Order: sequence, then C-alpha cells, then structure tokens
Amino acid sequence: MAATAAALSPAEAERERLRGLLHKKYRWLDYKFDLVFWVTAAFVVGAAADITKLLFAGDWDFWTDWKDRQWWPIISPFAFIIIPSALQYIQWLAWRFPTGATYTAVCMFLCSWVGRVYQWDAFVTYPLVFVWPATIVPAGIFLDWILLKTKSFVLTSILGSMVWALVFWSSNYITLAPYLQPAQFMGHILTLADIQGIEYLRSQTPEYLRLVENGTLRSFLDETQYVSLVFGATVTIAGYWIGQIIARYLAIWPIGKFIKRF
Amino acid sequence: MRFRIVLALLLGVLGMLLTSAVASAHGENSQEGFLRMETVAFSNVQFSKDTIKQGEEITISGRASLLTTWPKTLGEPDTGFVNVTAPGPVLLMKDRQINGMSAPDAIFVKKGNAYDFKLTLVGREVGRWHVHPTFAVAGSGTLIGPGQWITVQDAGGFQNNVQLLNGQTVNLESYGIGQLTIFHWLGFALGMVWMLYWTVPAIGGANHRTVSKLPVTLSVPLNTDGQDVGLITKRDHRISNYLLLATLALLVVGWIYQSAAFPIKIPQQVFRFTPPELAQPPAVVNAQPKDATFDPQTSTLVMNVDVSNKGNSPMTLTGFTTSSLTFVDQTKAGAGAEHVMVISPAATIAPGQTQTLTLTLRDPVWRDARMIEVNRPRIEVAGQLLFQDASGTQNQATIASSVNPKLI
Repeated sequence: MAATAAALSPAEAERERLRGLLHKKYRWLDYKFDLVFWVTAAFVVGAAADITKLLFAGDWDFWTDWKDRQWWPIISPFAFIIIPSALQYIQWLAWRFPTGATYTAVCMFLCSWVGRVYQWDAFVTYPLVFVWPATIVPAGIFLDWILLKTKSFVLTSILGSMVWALVFWSSNYITLAPYLQPAQFMGHILTLADIQGIEYLRSQTPEYLRLVENGTLRSFLDETQYVSLVFGATVTIAGYWIGQIIARYLAIWPIGKFIKRF
Repeated sequence: MRFRIVLALLLGVLGMLLTSAVASAHGENSQEGFLRMETVAFSNVQFSKDTIKQGEEITISGRASLLTTWPKTLGEPDTGFVNVTAPGPVLLMKDRQINGMSAPDAIFVKKGNAYDFKLTLVGREVGRWHVHPTFAVAGSGTLIGPGQWITVQDAGGFQNNVQLLNGQTVNLESYGIGQLTIFHWLGFALGMVWMLYWTVPAIGGANHRTVSKLPVTLSVPLNTDGQDVGLITKRDHRISNYLLLATLALLVVGWIYQSAAFPIKIPQQVFRFTPPELAQPPAVVNAQPKDATFDPQTSTLVMNVDVSNKGNSPMTLTGFTTSSLTFVDQTKAGAGAEHVMVISPAATIAPGQTQTLTLTLRDPVWRDARMIEVNRPRIEVAGQLLFQDASGTQNQATIASSVNPKLI
C-alpha cells in the first residue's frame, strides 16, 4: 500500500487521503450521533420553515378560499422556498447531501399537520378540509435533485426555483381540485372553497382582506394562471437567494468566525 | 427536592385552572370610546332565538349605520363586511342579506348610509356561546354590535351538507379528506424515502454519514459532488433519479385523478357590490347639540340639543343610539329596556317648532364599557337620535359633541 501510495500523483494522493477520512471510524461520532442530530434538528427546522411560511403567506396556506390561481402561486412558493434553500446550502456544504429542501419539507409537513389537526381542527374546530396545509415535499425532492445534478447554486436558484413554483402549484392543486367545484349558495354560483370561507366564521378576518383574484395580472388573453406561475417562479428565485443569504451569512459565516477564533 | 418541584408545578397548574374565569367578551370595549361612538351605530339588533339545536337556524337582524361623524383620522370608509363574531365556527353562516340583497362577501359602503342586515346561521358546536353581529370597515377594523348568549344543543351530530351543481350532495365537514390525506401522505412517504436513503448509512451506504464528512467536504470545491473521493456515488445518482421519477408519477396520477373525478371546476369567486340604499323618509328633524357634560362619579351624561321639526306632524324622540347601545325614553321604556334616558321638558316637538331638549343618560355603561373616559385626549359623545311620528315614520339625526367632564 505504501509503495502504491508513493507512486501516486499528489492529486491522487490527496483523493486517497480524503477517501480515508471519509470512511474513518470515530469513537463518538457514530451513526447514533447522526440519528440524534437529524431528529433533534427536525423540530428547529420544521418550526423555522413553518414560521417563515406563516409570516409571508399565512392566510394563503390556511384557507381553501385563499388558495386562488392568481396570488397563491406567487406568494406561497416564494415564502416556502426560503428555509429549504438555506438548509440546502448548509447540508450540501457540510455533507454533500442534496437533502436540504426535502428535509425541510418533511419536517414542516409534520409541524403543519400537527398544528392543523390538533390546534385548528380539534381545538378551534375548523374542519381540516378547510384549513389543510399545502405540501412542499414533491417540490423539495425536485429542488434537491436539481442541485444534485447541476452541483450549482446559481443554476439551482434559476432552474430549481422555477420548477419549485410549478411543482408546488401542481402538487397542491390536486388536493384543491374538489373544492373548486361549483355550487349554488346564497343565490350565487360559488366554489365549495368560497362556501367554506363564508360559512365557517372567521371573526377577525373580514372577507375584504381575502386577497384573491384581484390585481392587474390580467394580460395574455386573461390567462391569469400562467402569468401568475411565471411571475411566481421569478419571485421564487428571489426567495431562494434570501435563503442562501440566511445560510451563508447568518449560519455558516458566524460558525467560521467562531471556529477560527478558538 | 424532586417531590417539591412536582408539588410546585401541580399547585401552579391548579392555581391557574381554579382562578381563571370564563372569557365572555370579544374585546368590544378595547377600542377607544370615541371610535365606537363616531363610526358605526347598531340599532334594533334582534336575535330570533337564544337556544337552538345543531343544524337549526337562528337569525340575527338589525341596522348598522355608518355615521357622518366618521373620524377623519380613519380615512373615508369604502369597503365593509357584516359578519358575526363568536368563539370560532360554533355557528355556520348560511345567508347574509344586506338591504334586502344577498351579500356573501364584502360590500362597498358610504359614510352616512344605513345597512339593514339579516344573518341566518345554524348551530354547529354544542355549547353556550357569546355571539355579536359585527361591521368591519377596511382600514378601520371591526366594530362590534350588541351580543347575546346562544345555546347550541346536541342533536346527535352535525353534517354540513351542500349540493353541488352536478347534483351530488357533499358534507363540507369532511369532504375530500380521504384524497387529501392519501395524496399528501404519499408525497410525505416519498420525501421520507429520499431522506432515509441519504441519511441512513445502512440504506444509502457508508458515505452517508454526517459530521465525520466535514473535513472531506470542506476540502473539495462546492460545485462538485465529490464522486472521485466517494462523497456521492453513481448509485446515489441512480436512486435519486428513481425517486424523482416516482414523485413525477405521483403528480401525473394525481392530475389524471383530479381531472377525471372533478371535471367541472371554477376559480374562487369574489362578489363585492354596492347594496341598494334604504328608502328613507324625508329628513324633517334637525338636531344640533349645544353642549354635553359628564360626571364620572355617577356615570351620568347630560346633553342639551336644539331640535327643529320642519315636518307637518309632531315628532317624538324615542331613543339615542351610539355604538352598540340604545337608550330609550324612560317614560316609555318597557321592563326589558337595558338603557334609559330622561328627556326634558318633553320628548315631542311640534311641527315648525325648535326646542332645546335636555337628555340625561345616567348609566354605568359609560364608565364600564369605557365609552367616555375623562383621561383621554378626545372626550366626546356621538350617535343618532331616533324620532318617530304618530304614523310610525322615523327620522334619525346624527349628533356629535365634545363633553365637559366633571373633574372636581
């Protein structure tokens, strides 16, 4: 082995060293540590993602009558991608895992479902079919896969964010579809989602606050949906880079300073 | 030591549980008095019942007037929404009529206009609930009308059935829950497979450890996957491709399912309109407040108002409405009157006559409901005087006056 190593070029020798490091056995940093890390971090990551989502796109994620074809595909993908982007950078940098977006997605999925089932359905008695949370798990898998293939945050921010916006909408539209069926109510033709919003009292959320189907995105032969998706994909790129800034300058940079100092 | 900590925690929890009172208000007194008095006046609010069964209807009706005394600081009111405040969706809104027209959504409003509302609700959650009609105005917030306790009795369960245009009847309490759960949790399962593959070395391979990889990952450029040193392998790429295809397949199947199962869909609807104005009799009464005083010790408000009757028949002052309160003439108040006032010298103004009326409104509500507070920068009273002639024709006159508090 020593003779072989001596014959290696410096680059190959470096690779051998890194391979050795990769598979080095540690006494304390074993798989149990990994398990503890992934499980405990899940609460922090899920809460951070859920809070960020609620801050930027709270009502759009809460009520079916807010999940419209115009604002929902713009606001929500932007708000949802911030923390997945941050985690994507951290996990790729540290471990070369294309898992940041999916990890955030599954953590937030559990947090959101616990909140909606126990807090909103069981405690405040809004039916879950009115307050179900949107999912970003399929979009997270796509985003991580794109990072794995491109190995570039710039390309992922452009291609990935666009795909993210599209997959976000298409994966959640499937569960929204039954609530877009028409029915007659109060003498008008409304969707089931509208009826849910009218019937289930939201005392401090007057209807005029519902930001749906209004605005000026009505060019291209009134194809609001497609304009919104394209615009949503564009603003999602901005959201992706907000996440990158959080990861690079609020997470990794301070750690680097700390390690250097000590 | 451990016993003491447990005991302290137990006592703390018991202390909170035993001393906490049941919340029975919705913050209606939290807004400053002048805001409540100068913005919306609720009158003639009536609840058809106080006890209903689950699924049984109850009607809340009344009038909400956007007063001409609307404070300039709030901006001009343009959009409003008549609703109900309650502890969550304990009742369901089934119909909302504003000035005789169906109004599922918000309406466009104008200062000085009155809005007769009729809200039809059904009982949903069993219990005793405090319920108020509300009038929310964009930019200003929600003004709360008079409330009442409503008891909803158990009827052996509740279903919220709605008939679709295709004739199918669905229960909105649970409609679509199966599809929602299956699709979302299948997606979650795929996410978990992705995560387990990448984070469990027993599944993904020995290169899928975390912390021990740091010296390696930091030694290779960020935009490489480190295949040459084994950070990410070809197998990792292959498995990830399969998982991506599975995710794509889930989306495709989901889309095929939703297009087949729900072929007719429309976007969410928004119905906002200006309700027809109420037919009002000609205004024949003019009221001009001269002055007002308030004694916080006795919670007594005294107003002097010049009232002119330009009509052909005598007009009688029957009440004064402000915010959610209505004061009626003490001499004609029935047993159920909550708030009364003394009118002197007489409540009736003859045709063509102008008279100064002194209204004495002695009621703890001024103080208890924080309607008039002497430590505020705006000590004012506003509302509507309600007049009626012998034929039942009504007139309202909006008044607003500063109040001189009796501080010493």
